[in-house]
Amino acid sequence: MSRSSPAQRLASIEPGTRGHIVRVARDHRDRADRLMALGVTPGASIHVLQQFPSVVFMCDQTELAVEPAVADAILVQIE
Amino acid sequence: MSCAQVAVRKSATEPLLKLRARPLRLALVGNANVGKSVLFGRLTGQYAVVSNYPGTTVALTLGRALIGAEVCDVTDTPGVNAVEGVLSEDELVTRRILETGETDVVIQVADARNLRRGLMLTSQLAAFKLPMVLVLNMADEARTHGVHIDAAGLAASLGIPVVETVATEGRGVAALKDVLANAAVPNPRGDHAGDHAKWAHDMAVQFRRLQPRSAARVQERLSRMVREPATGLPILALVLYVMYLIVGVFGAQTLVGLIENGLFKQFINPAAAFLVNRFVPWAIVRDFLVGEYGLITMGLTYAIAIVLPVVATFFLVFGFLEDSGYIPRLAIFSDRIFRAMGLNGKAVLPMVLGLGCDTMATMTTRILGTPKERLIAVLLLALGIPCSAQLATIFGILGGISFAALMTLFGVVLAQMFLVGFLAARVLPGERSEFMMELPPIRLPHMRNVVYKTVLRVRWYLGEAVPLFLVGTALLFVLSRLGWLAAMTRGLEPLVQGLLGLPARTTEVFVMGFLRRDYGAAGLFRMARAGDLQPVQAVVALTVMTLFVPCVANFLMMVKEQGWKPALGILGVVTVIAIGTGAALNTVLHVLHVSF
Repeated sequence: MSRSSPAQRLASIEPGTRGHIVRVARDHRDRADRLMALGVTPGASIHVLQQFPSVVFMCDQTELAVEPAVADAILVQIE
Repeated sequence: MSCAQVAVRKSATEPLLKLRARPLRLALVGNANVGKSVLFGRLTGQYAVVSNYPGTTVALTLGRALIGAEVCDVTDTPGVNAVEGVLSEDELVTRRILETGETDVVIQVADARNLRRGLMLTSQLAAFKLPMVLVLNMADEARTHGVHIDAAGLAASLGIPVVETVATEGRGVAALKDVLANAAVPNPRGDHAGDHAKWAHDMAVQFRRLQPRSAARVQERLSRMVREPATGLPILALVLYVMYLIVGVFGAQTLVGLIENGLFKQFINPAAAFLVNRFVPWAIVRDFLVGEYGLITMGLTYAIAIVLPVVATFFLVFGFLEDSGYIPRLAIFSDRIFRAMGLNGKAVLPMVLGLGCDTMATMTTRILGTPKERLIAVLLLALGIPCSAQLATIFGILGGISFAALMTLFGVVLAQMFLVGFLAARVLPGERSEFMMELPPIRLPHMRNVVYKTVLRVRWYLGEAVPLFLVGTALLFVLSRLGWLAAMTRGLEPLVQGLLGLPARTTEVFVMGFLRRDYGAAGLFRMARAGDLQPVQAVVALTVMTLFVPCVANFLMMVKEQGWKPALGILGVVTVIAIGTGAALNTVLHVLHVSF
């Protein structure tokens, strides 16, 4: 529960974990824009629900499903 | 700008409702699946098809509403995630109406639970400098989830009216009508200019209170069960089985039997024959009405007795699934498969919708991200997805033969779709977009909406499909009278009898199938009933028919969405694949001595 633990990629977080989005990698501009439009932005709370076959998570009050490559671009600070 | 009169208004105190040369134009704009179409229905009294998943509305719907003493034009728009940046086809439809001055007031509908996302859109909408009202819909669900919004504070900060509604129950709609007069251009957003996300986040933090609570335990558990593979896949199998029981057994066998044998064979057809023979002196007209290709004996019997029961039961089940929020969750399982076919999980929506009607589904491909994805989806819909009317005949014929026959057909068609998709993904230029999709909440459907939707769709079927059915019957009659049918049958003999191993009469059926493949299949249905079709022949003929382009209407929609060249290309490719697959299947079944 230490506050100083480093941010992790969404794709590698155990289901059931809660946290906050710290950064969305901008190496793929299109992807970041589309994620932002869905509400996946720094500061948003996140609750990881499932990793396979697709990554499913609750972002704020929206349930989202993304492919692993996308989840890899989302950095989460675990609470 | 044509709306200058409204757009230049400086304050909310100046009345908006006043004498005008034309009706005031209101546009309902908002994120996907927030209830714009429900609100549209509440305002105009017109029904726009409502479902529990994003992408139900992909084109503009127009209606009129009485606001105070004034009649206003209301436009329902496709849901958007954004109105700037990279936009999909349906988002562009919405953006266009904002840009072109086709609207005087924007009613932004937001999901009260998702204030942050709603505000992100508000921030983008503000750039169009149109008077706005913000509607926070699904206020009841928000409260059960512990979300409380300070609507008054929000309104003051934004400088526009904010109304909380529960559109499905009509709550807050009167209040919305009242505040429309105060619609205003939103306040400038201070120092966050450009960063919509940060501004929305800060605003949400300021005006929203979250009480962590999980009141919706059942909902959560259900959602989890359909999403996880260990429980989700058995549930999918169960859903398909129940669907088969209702549509394939109850609809296609019980109801069809009752209506066809009971109503048509015993009453309507004999009565029609009696009346026509008695009162119509001309043999040719008699033949046209009640002969072998008679309008009543063949056309009406097919349309009403064979296809209608299945279309009706299918849309009932389908409407229920649509509103439950189950269908989009299939994307979680299918994403990996669709990715191999140059698509992503989102493509499950048009594909499943195609089971209802391929023509509508072809239009729904607009929700997909790239031109390449849209083209592949349109191709696969045309190739492999049987629409409800055709499912009717498939269940009717093969259900009567054996389960193995049914599975052979679906197996071959699915394999063919996968193969074609796999190749198309590699041959066609362009890229696929990444899979990221919003999952609507799992809800218990309102039976009223489900029944209403079913009635609407059945009425649509009757209005659109039946006349074409009758035209097809008339065409067949004329062809047969002129002797052309016999000539075509002879001409196609090597193909139909030789390659596909089917009886010569099947050619007529394929002619009908060209208009609508379910009519063709309905023709097969009759041949099968009469014992003119061996089980293997039935499977081969139906496989070929299923792989054909669905109907004239679907072809025209392909032209509309993709243009003539791709549409003709798809038609050619699909026809060759259909006949090639049929020939191969016929050979394999014979070599293996399969008899079902």
